Amino acid sequence: TKEDNRKSSSFDFMSYIITKAESVNKALDSAVPLREPLKIHEAMRYSLLAGGKRVRPVLCIAACELVGGEESLAMPAACAVEMIHTMSLIHDDLPCMDNDDLRRGKPTNHKVFGEDVAVLAGDALLSFAFEHLASATSSEVSPVRVVRAVGELAKAIGTEGLVAGQVVDISSEGLDLNDVGLEHLEFIHLHKTAALLEASAVLGGIVGGGSDDEIERLRKFARCIGLLFQVVDDILDVTKSSQELGKTAGKDLIADKLTYPKIMGLEKSREFAEKLNRDARDQLLGFDSDKVAPLLALANYIANRQN
Amino acid sequence: SSSSSSSFDLRTYWTTLITEINQKLDEAIPVKYPEGIYEAMRYSVLAQGAKRAPPVMCVAACELLGGHRRAAFPTACALEMVHAASLIHDDLPCMDDDPVRRGKPSNHTVYGADMAILAGDALFPLGFQHIVSHTPPELVPRATILRVISEIARTVGSTGMAAGQYVDLEGGPFPLSFVQEKKFGAMGECSAVCGGLLGGATEEELESLRRYGRAVGMLYQLVDDVREDDDGNNNNKKKKKKKNSYAGFFGAQRAMEMAEELRANAKKELQVFDKYGGGDAVAPLYSFVDYAAHRDFLLPL
Repeated sequence: TKEDNRKSSSFDFMSYIITKAESVNKALDSAVPLREPLKIHEAMRYSLLAGGKRVRPVLCIAACELVGGEESLAMPAACAVEMIHTMSLIHDDLPCMDNDDLRRGKPTNHKVFGEDVAVLAGDALLSFAFEHLASATSSEVSPVRVVRAVGELAKAIGTEGLVAGQVVDISSEGLDLNDVGLEHLEFIHLHKTAALLEASAVLGGIVGGGSDDEIERLRKFARCIGLLFQVVDDILDVTKSSQELGKTAGKDLIADKLTYPKIMGLEKSREFAEKLNRDARDQLLGFDSDKVAPLLALANYIANRQN
Repeated sequence: SSSSSSSFDLRTYWTTLITEINQKLDEAIPVKYPEGIYEAMRYSVLAQGAKRAPPVMCVAACELLGGHRRAAFPTACALEMVHAASLIHDDLPCMDDDPVRRGKPSNHTVYGADMAILAGDALFPLGFQHIVSHTPPELVPRATILRVISEIARTVGSTGMAAGQYVDLEGGPFPLSFVQEKKFGAMGECSAVCGGLLGGATEEELESLRRYGRAVGMLYQLVDDVREDDDGNNNNKKKKKKKNSYAGFFGAQRAMEMAEELRANAKKELQVFDKYGGGDAVAPLYSFVDYAAHRDFLLPL
């Protein structure tokens, strides 16, 4: 079916995401210049410009374009969500959290710059995301919309978003599978992964001038692909070799992490992934078919990725 | 304290506001699932003994310009949230490694370093969210809210308080005044400017408030340093800290001279506001300067 998806759509997603990621990289590079004190800004740039897939900013821009906005309207919001994503990775990797030495094949931020600088660089990226969104968004976007975007971004980070997911994740280590169910697992992923994807799409819809209905459909779309991302991740962890993944396979099993295959079995997990992709696509019915192509392709990309 | 000769009673003004701000902060952080993180946030934000100087200065600056108190409260609360977030992270073992804050175990001592990181990470955005959701739209234009958010974000960010903390920890080619200005002046500056923005100040008035707030924030810290130095009671303070205090570096005599300069400069910045309310409106801001310099009353905390 992977082949079918590729053939049925004339839309070239890979070149779309590469082009958009390049504009995002350029915008991030100039948004966070090297300034005094140099080491903090070096640390911020080290992780921010480390070359992630830029899924969140691309989603933000695609959502903006879906509702009729120009890429430039969404760029500060797109950069802001990537800054938040980066900040959460820097803090998650710290010794007092997940204690990771490597991230995307490179030494983690605190390994290079020290823990103190890593904490501060994360904090600085967090606050700068808001400064950037509030002050760099085009004056073509009404302040009412920018204020709304700020509120959405803030909600996605704190105790109703990323932080909540992280807290519940930390506190579930070592819990018995019988004590926690699907709901618990879904809470973690809806907050740790889906919340920021949701904010990315919603921010794009807001600054792009979308109607309330359009923004809410983008929200549901992004929640579905957020969960989808995690379900696929869990499936890959048990079905692929380390070589194929480019990271340690079976890591979740060894770490005794809760995963979808563990709770519902592999087959049911695959069915769930398909359902989430369908639900995501359903949210986009009724939009212009050309404009909707990038988001549909993004959902397929997340569903069919092999690593 | 000669120029606060008016009948203005700072102590009553301040304590009344503290009560209101504490109540609003209490409401702003309800305990929900997952409870642990809300408790960690509340532990630091609602700590007994907080003087709430940034929010009080914010409200006073807003009222000086004729703004309504209600316009300033959400931002005033946000200032406390982001300030608490900075302090929680500053106290961490990998930073200042302070087991105690305001006479109580610091956040990570009680909740662990992981929760302390997350409590800080949650308090920064909660501050912004609180401003967005609670500022009365009929009192404050949305464009002003955006300026307030930028101002606060810049203050805590990589060229503001985070920069001060970094230089305090690691040193660098910066004068001592850099740490003092960024770590202690930044919050005062931000509080006064935000209040001014919410009260509708002109750009010139904002610049005066900026210089005023920075001077008061630094003055407050400087006087703290000198008093601690006098007490000779700094066993708990690490050498690293003392190095970056004015009193430790220049000696008490020079530090007091600098305090006098800051006091004079802060008051000079307020002269442009003497025209408001026959001089009464600016009385709170004058009295903050004297309080920072002399601490001539105890807040009933």
